[in-house]
Amino acid sequence: MSFKNHDRQKFIIDTANAFTNRKISKRDFLRNMGMAGIGMSAFATGLLGGTRPFKGNMAHAASHGGTPEDVANFLREAGKPFAGTTIRYTSEATPPTVVLNQLKSEFTELTGINVEIEIVPLEQVLAKATQDVQGELGTYDIYYLDQAWTATFSRDTIDPRELYESKPDLAMPGFDFDDFSETLVEGISLYDNKWIGLPFDIPIFTLMYRKDILEKHGIAVPKTYDEFTSAVELITAAEKENGIFGTGLQAKSGHYSLECDWSQAVWGHGGSIFGADKKFSGNDSAGVEGLEWYMRMLKNAPANSVASTWDGQWQMGASGQVAMIQSWAEFFPGWNADDSEVKGLWEMTKPLEGPATLRSRDMAGFGEIPNWGHQGGSSIALSRYSKNQDAAWLFLQWACSKDIMTRCTLAGGFAPMRNSSYVDPRIVERKTRVGSGTTRHLDTVKWTIDNAIASEPDVAIWAGVANNEIPTELGKLVTGQDYNGNAQACMDKIAELVDQKVEEADLL
Amino acid sequence: MAEAQINHQDGRGGRKLLALPQWLTSEHPLPWLFPATAMLIIFGIYPVLYSLWLSFFKRNPATRVEKFDPSWNWSKLIADDRVWDAVVVTLTYTSVALIIQLVLGMLIALLLDSDRRGFGVLRALMTLPLVVPPAVTGMMFLLMYDGSFGVISHVLYDLGILSPNAPLLANGSTALLSVIIVDVWQWTPFMVLIMLAGLRALPKDPFEAAAIDGATDVQAFFRLTLPMMSKIIALAVLIRGIDLFRIYDYVKVMTDSGPGTATETLTAYTGTVYFKSADFPYASTVAIFTLLTVLVVANVFIKIFRVRF
Repeated sequence: MSFKNHDRQKFIIDTANAFTNRKISKRDFLRNMGMAGIGMSAFATGLLGGTRPFKGNMAHAASHGGTPEDVANFLREAGKPFAGTTIRYTSEATPPTVVLNQLKSEFTELTGINVEIEIVPLEQVLAKATQDVQGELGTYDIYYLDQAWTATFSRDTIDPRELYESKPDLAMPGFDFDDFSETLVEGISLYDNKWIGLPFDIPIFTLMYRKDILEKHGIAVPKTYDEFTSAVELITAAEKENGIFGTGLQAKSGHYSLECDWSQAVWGHGGSIFGADKKFSGNDSAGVEGLEWYMRMLKNAPANSVASTWDGQWQMGASGQVAMIQSWAEFFPGWNADDSEVKGLWEMTKPLEGPATLRSRDMAGFGEIPNWGHQGGSSIALSRYSKNQDAAWLFLQWACSKDIMTRCTLAGGFAPMRNSSYVDPRIVERKTRVGSGTTRHLDTVKWTIDNAIASEPDVAIWAGVANNEIPTELGKLVTGQDYNGNAQACMDKIAELVDQKVEEADLL
Repeated sequence: MAEAQINHQDGRGGRKLLALPQWLTSEHPLPWLFPATAMLIIFGIYPVLYSLWLSFFKRNPATRVEKFDPSWNWSKLIADDRVWDAVVVTLTYTSVALIIQLVLGMLIALLLDSDRRGFGVLRALMTLPLVVPPAVTGMMFLLMYDGSFGVISHVLYDLGILSPNAPLLANGSTALLSVIIVDVWQWTPFMVLIMLAGLRALPKDPFEAAAIDGATDVQAFFRLTLPMMSKIIALAVLIRGIDLFRIYDYVKVMTDSGPGTATETLTAYTGTVYFKSADFPYASTVAIFTLLTVLVVANVFIKIFRVRF
């Protein structure tokens, strides 16, 4: 028996549900799991966390294939001196990277430049990039840089605008830097007035809900945290017996996903991570209120939330376990795919706003932008230590060109980086579609990017504390290992740890 | 080039067969010790000394400048709660896993210590878990522990031992034990092998004499087998104990030190400091501290139990 990825996941979930409900025997359960390849499969790797749940449709990318002629001619000429060169790029399995990995042969055919894309979990990307820059090794020509690492790696990359100016022979015609969404550039790629790379990926928090469940209980689509809380608690109370919870979370202890959930909760309750004095401010009243709200939501989420990262949270939505999720907008296309069990049931709306008032940017520290929609975007950047800089620069331009970025969106359904993509006829055409390849959520995503984008602090220690101290202490709280449910005590401890790091780095 | 001649001794005065460089026929120990010594220096001593040297630097994560400050990381280590929590977790993990593996290993070895037909196959089958890479073992159990569809979790739900509201690996009170069980599954066969080798090497005479004197099997075990096996047991405990002390694979794959720091061992914490915080000097300090702890514990053990190699 052969399974496509989604079919297999659905099969596993159905089997598990059947076993839980005693509809099949243990023997059948084990046999079905064996048929699904449980044990040493890629699915098992996915359960390790850190794998982004991508439900792409490569056929769409291929069907719109073909680099525009002017760009193709440029690449043929500019790439000649570098034919046979191999460039290396390491990345998380982000939707655009996965699509790019499929499309890269087009670039190789035009230029003769080979591209090796190493796809590993996010924390390994960080470890590899850190090692590379520490030794100035140039093992990787291109880095995938999460927005939380912008400040950490800013000195290790080359500003693409400078390169475009200084190497006219290698400048792609019509590349158009101004076409990148300004708020995205600021939130993802800009540090100290330097573009550390090109915006490449923009997962952003929006509110997604099951319209059938909301309609069943006569609940209006929540707009504020208070409305959301009431709706979540009502649904959990009514549907828990049926295995459906009000919401689902990505609260895995020690993982960056928990930090993302937490920072969204803090901003949503009028707080910020740092104050203007560059001291940690998550332990002020607004921050603690945000965390207490999050703990309340945990009681209305599947128990596995505390063991889940974003892939687990996506699974909750795909398997019909939850009614509402405020999380990464890129979950949406997968839930709406033709072969999805919940196709057409999920809708998307703007992230929750208020009743708290947002903290202003000048009251936050280290370039943090408090807002309603947490963004987890990334850039792809040219390594200062690369030994194949020119070849890598050509690839970078091709990967972030208008056509390729639009085709990546068509294949994956995630949000484009370029303004032109949103009005591209191929994207607009699908705004009414329900099913695979839908772009009906992109207007909401665009609105969130333009009006409600929130960004974590730009500070060199952030990659460390966002992946270690903060999610580890939060993990102790949410799993009951420490703090006895006291959010204030947990936040005070985090404040102590983070302030110490800031001081040690002479950042005050 | 100086060459040495090797003569074939055929009893008829000798005939030159090979001409080898003189150093290859040297009776001086240096050429023979050199390869192993070089390997030891490059892959053992140098990394340890470099780590020690690195531990004397204070790293600024913002500027990446490393400043010589010999006491910085060591003071930080003493004041770091996570290090001491990790020491407790490591010692708990090591001692619990070791006791279970030792007792189970001895019991299974006693059962398999037979020349009857089929026991050879059983002994071979026992070693199967050892050939599975630890990371793969961790992934297998991760699935079996899964709160939604894991076989082990569901059996425990059915038995009323576990609540679906507290997934095994996301619960501070069950996570460590769950990881230890995986270690026991994989490494008990190693203990069995060592114990079996020891049991099968025991002389038969004392047991025959004891049987003639009317000793029961239990008496023979406690009065003869255990005392005669003591050196083997001590060696097995030492080897396995050191191995357990540096546990990393299962923790990384299954819990990533969580929930919170409930399964954070010293090596796991070293990895976190190194890979997540990129504080290389402090990670080296924790690693050196781990090494020193192992050395102290192992040497105390060797002294007490008079282990001889």
